[in-house]
Amino acid sequence: MNREPVIIAFCCNWCSYAAADLAGISRLQYPGSIRIIRVMCTGMVHPELVLKALNKGAAGVIIVGCHLGECHYIKGSEMALARAEIIADTLEDLGIAAERFQLVWVSSSEPERLVAAFREMSERLGIGRALGVKTPEAGQ
Amino acid sequence: MSGVALPRLCCEWLHGCSGCEVALLNGGDLFLGLLEQVDIVHFPLLMDHKCPDGPEGNPSLPRAEIGLVSGGVASKAQLEVLRTMRDRCRILVAFGTCASHGGIPALRNQWTTEQALSTVFHGDDCEYSSESESKGWLDRIYAIDEWVEVDLLLPGCPPRPETIVEVVAALAAGQQPQLTEKSVCEHCPTVRTGSGRMTVRRFLANADYEPEEPMDSMRCLFEQGLLCMGPVTVGGCGGREMPLCIRARVPCRGCYGPVRRQGNQLLDLLNILASKGIDHRAIVDRISLLRFSGAHGLLKPNIQG
Ligand code: SF4
Ligand code: SF4
Ligand code: SF4
Ligand code: FES
Repeated sequence: MNREPVIIAFCCNWCSYAAADLAGISRLQYPGSIRIIRVMCTGMVHPELVLKALNKGAAGVIIVGCHLGECHYIKGSEMALARAEIIADTLEDLGIAAERFQLVWVSSSEPERLVAAFREMSERLGIGRALGVKTPEAGQ
Repeated sequence: MSGVALPRLCCEWLHGCSGCEVALLNGGDLFLGLLEQVDIVHFPLLMDHKCPDGPEGNPSLPRAEIGLVSGGVASKAQLEVLRTMRDRCRILVAFGTCASHGGIPALRNQWTTEQALSTVFHGDDCEYSSESESKGWLDRIYAIDEWVEVDLLLPGCPPRPETIVEVVAALAAGQQPQLTEKSVCEHCPTVRTGSGRMTVRRFLANADYEPEEPMDSMRCLFEQGLLCMGPVTVGGCGGREMPLCIRARVPCRGCYGPVRRQGNQLLDLLNILASKGIDHRAIVDRISLLRFSGAHGLLKPNIQG
């Protein structure tokens, strides 16, 4: 299988998805490998969703939420932060490269920050430099 | 015996410990009662009857309405037996946690088959190592539903004798067996306040309780900081009464497997800790939270090793 590598981005409705919208309006470019999934809050992203995406062949997963203390539901990003630790540890247990997962805070007025995070992740995973690069453990 | 044929029951065991079969026997009178409702056509623990080779060298088994398979799948030979069971039985039941989720043997999915074999059978003078290839080990331990369609999961390590008999009797009568889908916690009488200790204690630490007081005055073990797997484990071990381990005032170790079908007991439990703000790093050997459900690719060798 030689699918285009994909990075799944879980963006919360109130900050990061709004930032992605703004990035679109401002015509900021970000890599085509990013697939945004809108969630109400990063606090609702169960670690299993991240593992599932990676196991199904996503090159990486990035969770993007409101800055700590700015979450629309108050504690959501703190929960995401706590979960990010268990995700990181579980990836380590399973021997999955840590760089395939990331958590970032972006407010609705920071589209540049969002785009930079997307670019950085996709470069880190070696996507976009050459077309048709294989995903790590593709097809697993 | 009257002329009416009883539904036939066929049992096979794969990568398990025979504890599930013994649990069925442990049903005592209930088991004897079952003998009037089914006709056992094949049951390696009970009858001097092996799974013989058919004409093409494949395993051959009698036809049956109900098939119970205990144990997961570790080798090609076991896979053949499993496929034959699927082929010969109308209803196929994953009997016990090994068959349903990999069970204890699947703990070795944290290593490759080669690593496991060379660790256990090390040294040049071990005859076993040369044989291992012809035995046809698979790359890991599988739950049976990873290979064939399974009609019912009957988890438990082992399942309750009463439950096994009820399930077989229900199937024999053409009914859908009723198994709980609720977690161990839902069957647990301990006192929950919604808040508790913010640190994890060692699993072997003793719970705090007054021996003469009834169970429903003991504080929930999870809230006491013990790593009770009740919230992520499917109930049923206590029948209509309280869960077995809780009854002994020790935390649930998760032997019935995940409460959500295809759930991940490790991630779900860590997730609970994270949501409560409890530091999961205090857990020694967290990977063992998958001790009963390492099949389905949940436990993998750590390639970085
Ligand atoms: S589920 Fe438990 S009792 Fe049954 S075969 Fe597996 S280890 Fe043995
Ligand atoms: S966590 Fe354990 S002790 Fe607490 S309610 Fe659940 S099963 Fe009972
Ligand atoms: S309490 Fe948990 S570990 Fe104990 S028998 Fe029940 S399911 Fe198994
Ligand atoms: S709403 Fe953005 S992280 Fe909670």
